[in-house]
Amino acid sequence: MIEAAKTGFHPTLLFERGLGLAFPFFVAIAVASAVLLLIGENPVDIFSLMLSESFGSARRIAATLSAATPLLFTGVATAICFRSGAFNVGVEGAFVIGGLCGAFIGFSLPASLGYGLIPLAFAFAAIVSAVWLFIPGYLLAHYEVDEVVSTLMLNFVAFGITGYLVNGPLLSEMSGNNVTPLVHDVAQLPRLMPPSTLHAGFLLGLAVVVAYGIWARSTPSGFEGMLVGANQRFARAVGISIPSTIVLVMVISGIVSGLGGASHALGQLHRFADGFSPGYGFTGMAVALLGRNNEIGILLGAILFGALASAGTTVQLFSDIPLDIVNIIEGTVMIFAVVELGRLGFLRRRQS
Amino acid sequence: MRLGADGLSKRYGNVQANDHVSLAIAPGEIHAVVGENGAGKSTLMRLLQGVEQPDSGTIIVDDRPVHLPGPHRAFALGIGMVHQEFMLAPDLSLLENLVLGEEPLRIAAGPVSRIDWVEAQNAGSALARKAAIEIDWSRRAGSTPVHVRQFVEIIRLLRRGTRILILDEPTAVLAPRQVDDLFSLLRTLRDQGTTIVFISHKLKEVMALADRVTVMRRGTVCFSGAIADTTVAEIAGHVVGGDTRPPSAATSQSTEIPAHGNVAFAVEDLSSAAVEKSHPLHDINIHVAAGEIVGLAGVSGNGQHELIECLVGLRPSRRGTVRLGGTDVTDAGNGERRRLGMGYVSADRRHEGLALTASIEANAVAASHRAPPVRRGWFVDRRAMRTVAVDRLAKLDVRYGALGDPVSSLSGGNQQKLVFAREIATNPKLLVVSQPTRGVDLLGIAAIHDILRRFRGAAGAVLLVSEELDEILELSDRIYVMAGGRIVGERRATETSVADLGALMLTGTGVHD
Amino acid sequence: MIIDQIIAASIVLTTPILLAAMGGLVNRQGGIVNIALDAKMLAGAFVAVVVSSATGSWLAASLAAAAAGAMIGYLFSLVITRAGANMIVAGLGLNVLVAGALGFILNWVYDSSGTLRLPDVALLPQFLPGWMERIPLIGLALAELEPLTVFAWISVFVLPMLLANTRWGLRLRATGNAPQVARAMGIAEKSVQDVSTAIAGFFSGLGGAHLALASIGLFNEGLTAGRGFIALAAFYFGRDKPVATALVCLFFGFLDASQIRMQTAGLPPKLIGTIPYLMVLIALCLAGWRQRRAKETIS
Repeated sequence: MIEAAKTGFHPTLLFERGLGLAFPFFVAIAVASAVLLLIGENPVDIFSLMLSESFGSARRIAATLSAATPLLFTGVATAICFRSGAFNVGVEGAFVIGGLCGAFIGFSLPASLGYGLIPLAFAFAAIVSAVWLFIPGYLLAHYEVDEVVSTLMLNFVAFGITGYLVNGPLLSEMSGNNVTPLVHDVAQLPRLMPPSTLHAGFLLGLAVVVAYGIWARSTPSGFEGMLVGANQRFARAVGISIPSTIVLVMVISGIVSGLGGASHALGQLHRFADGFSPGYGFTGMAVALLGRNNEIGILLGAILFGALASAGTTVQLFSDIPLDIVNIIEGTVMIFAVVELGRLGFLRRRQS
Repeated sequence: MRLGADGLSKRYGNVQANDHVSLAIAPGEIHAVVGENGAGKSTLMRLLQGVEQPDSGTIIVDDRPVHLPGPHRAFALGIGMVHQEFMLAPDLSLLENLVLGEEPLRIAAGPVSRIDWVEAQNAGSALARKAAIEIDWSRRAGSTPVHVRQFVEIIRLLRRGTRILILDEPTAVLAPRQVDDLFSLLRTLRDQGTTIVFISHKLKEVMALADRVTVMRRGTVCFSGAIADTTVAEIAGHVVGGDTRPPSAATSQSTEIPAHGNVAFAVEDLSSAAVEKSHPLHDINIHVAAGEIVGLAGVSGNGQHELIECLVGLRPSRRGTVRLGGTDVTDAGNGERRRLGMGYVSADRRHEGLALTASIEANAVAASHRAPPVRRGWFVDRRAMRTVAVDRLAKLDVRYGALGDPVSSLSGGNQQKLVFAREIATNPKLLVVSQPTRGVDLLGIAAIHDILRRFRGAAGAVLLVSEELDEILELSDRIYVMAGGRIVGERRATETSVADLGALMLTGTGVHD
Repeated sequence: MIIDQIIAASIVLTTPILLAAMGGLVNRQGGIVNIALDAKMLAGAFVAVVVSSATGSWLAASLAAAAAGAMIGYLFSLVITRAGANMIVAGLGLNVLVAGALGFILNWVYDSSGTLRLPDVALLPQFLPGWMERIPLIGLALAELEPLTVFAWISVFVLPMLLANTRWGLRLRATGNAPQVARAMGIAEKSVQDVSTAIAGFFSGLGGAHLALASIGLFNEGLTAGRGFIALAAFYFGRDKPVATALVCLFFGFLDASQIRMQTAGLPPKLIGTIPYLMVLIALCLAGWRQRRAKETIS
């Protein structure tokens, strides 16, 4: 032991870490390849087509980054909680709530506020989503209410409330169903590479990822969150308050989710619509798991899933391969990401 | 001989847990096995149950050598054990727990066979009657008093054919009256032919119940004899080693010993209630002066763990005051006490003293991350954190690879040195230290003892809890002895011996309310 | 008349939730929180439509749906019990995976996106004579009664007995309550859990078959509309007790059936749809509050 420690290098450890990152993705690729072989397609052809469709040109890269944008937010929002041992599956709901709040500010306040609308919209979305996730955080910290169930249930409550609002009080008079009015032009986030939908929200997403990295590594509360996630008894015995740490990470997670929702509303759709999120929160979970809660891992994971989504759409056009292959890959990644984590002992507490 | 062992040896790594252990238990006998923690009792029981296999030696059942490849074989031979952790499902009724795994069936239809509850009830009642106890079988196990649960476990084993009953510290969780009930049950069973192996720390109980006693120390059997032919003092002497001084000196009144130096830490009339399985504390009065190491001795499970948790702010107390350097910290949490100058070395290094999966650096600076130089404004200064960690580790000569490696990559001794490095780096007024050398090799032990002495030399106050009496005697200036959640004695280290302390903590355990 | 219709619709809409909830509660009594019930319902609905069209038999279709659900459930369980996967993330992953796989098949094999219409789909038969419709209040419900609804309600009353009085039931409850105790008593607790997850799949598959074959006779990607999660809410609120859970399901079915009518009364259906989840949240809070109070009185 001591001898190995002296050298300061653990080849097996590095290998395990690398393998841990790649393992679920390899399984997913294998599953997808099997499916493709089954329908008589050459997986190599399809994957290289997907590669060129997602990174082959500036336009395609822009489409990929555009698809990755919401995942940057949801991936970070999930990772904040997971690394601190809070099993928050409510990012989806907070994202949707944030989207509605952002859009609401964007179309309801007078356009004369000009560019001031954008920060207002983001702030409102962040606050409401923070309160949204504060609820399960507080219940977990002070009443030991299982956060998995409470956040899962809150997702559906969020869908219900937003669904009601876009069909009722906030329904657009201009168009038929399920959408709010468009936000004012001044409230729309600028497009970075027209005609691509890549918008300034992507930059904000990058900033969030960087901020997350700084928070996690270089702030006292980030340090405490890591210790709480690593070992609650230890954290308590070195004077860290477990309840306040849990509430804090849930609130930060809510803020990030809210910013993500607002960015998607103001930058991508320019309004809120029913079915606002096709599961960005859950894909964000896959991103965080795949990226092992590491900021660079999250960035790569988000771009990877963004690439899958953007390439999936065009591949369907070119080769008849249904877009659903993306969901197959994502689902497999999620399942096998935790298989690996389970073996490493992390996240295992829920099983007992 | 109903159950026996002939020259059993078992080694775990560097530790010879059992060294040529021989044991002979006659049919229908209550046989006590006593010894300190780590004396090898648990290992012996694991071998007798077939949970593990000996490196050498044989196990004997009914005068014949047997091979026990697994617990099933031991169970089939009639060896059953009641663990300290009760094996009853809390949400099931007692009757359901009784039959679980071997259900009497009314209709045999594979998995959907109907259980014959009448038959089950009859069997349970018959066994209970035979044991002369009464049990309401319809009760939920979780809401049943603890001694009744124990009865049910015993009856369940009897129902499944146990003839040799092993009980692992069965009285640890019981109130005095419940102990009496258990003992009369065990005597009834013995008279009906069940052989009983009774593992205990409490010599008074051993004397009251057992027919014969075997004492283990450091993996070997150091004494075996009939209870009628021995005394508490003799057994106590064998348990702790050293000479067998008469216990009369040990049970004498403790004398007021004035503190020298400034009192760094004082506890007055501290009491706490029993929550779930924890031991209650009664009227604890202790103090530690600057420049003093105060030992807290006692057989494990007599409230030391709970007391330590109260003192470091991890468990609420019900009554009493705790003062740290003159400040009342009775209601302060762990973080507040640390800020006022307290360090804490936990007995449970792997689960409380360290975060094993976190980095060496994080473990070394935790608890100092909100104070300069690690903290700078809103941020943690990564470079300062690194410097602090490197300094701390170097001061105590902790050997490590890279700061980013998980702390689990260190050896036990280095892990513990890391804990000390963290806890004394802030120059606390008081260091609360529990089982500092558990699982540490000889070199590491010497290093840790040296750390504690140097800390005292720098006018630090240390409260030291250890199950190793030698360690307490070697390090302490003054020693409190704890039993049954109370302080039962106080000694100057120069005026006491292992035998004296041993007798005090063993016989003192009889002091119940 | 309106009341008759609401009762009949409530019964019909309760059945799929009820079936999934019965499966889910068996699973949870064995210690596994199954949040992939929705995936199994969806798979069951798809298989039911395909088999019903191919064989013309509602029975074969239902059994095939149940078998598909059970098989998915069993594989899912292996991932949890043998490979140590976290049941929540794996469950969410399975929901995504199954939806993706079904969409893929729909697209590739049937060349349709979202909806599968096949010829000659045999619906669940309504076996009681039509004149029963004239019985007041429950007549319409009786006339519309079909075998899966009957099976669901039979299971509500048979399951408690199976759980309480059979060997498997006892071992299942012991496993969920205290796995280490079950293991110490010689019970293969992982296998017990695997079977219970397969049962959850079986019931969810049947629930899916009911969704597809009760009246519409087609498959749609959004067919389950989160009913797997409503079932989860039902057995959480019903505390894993079959009869209590069934009553909760009935209430949820009633909410579902009366949504449209309540809308005319000014109560928006989307908000009514959140009631099941809010109920669970409130139940969780009450339980947590009670637990904390109990703890405080001890110390």
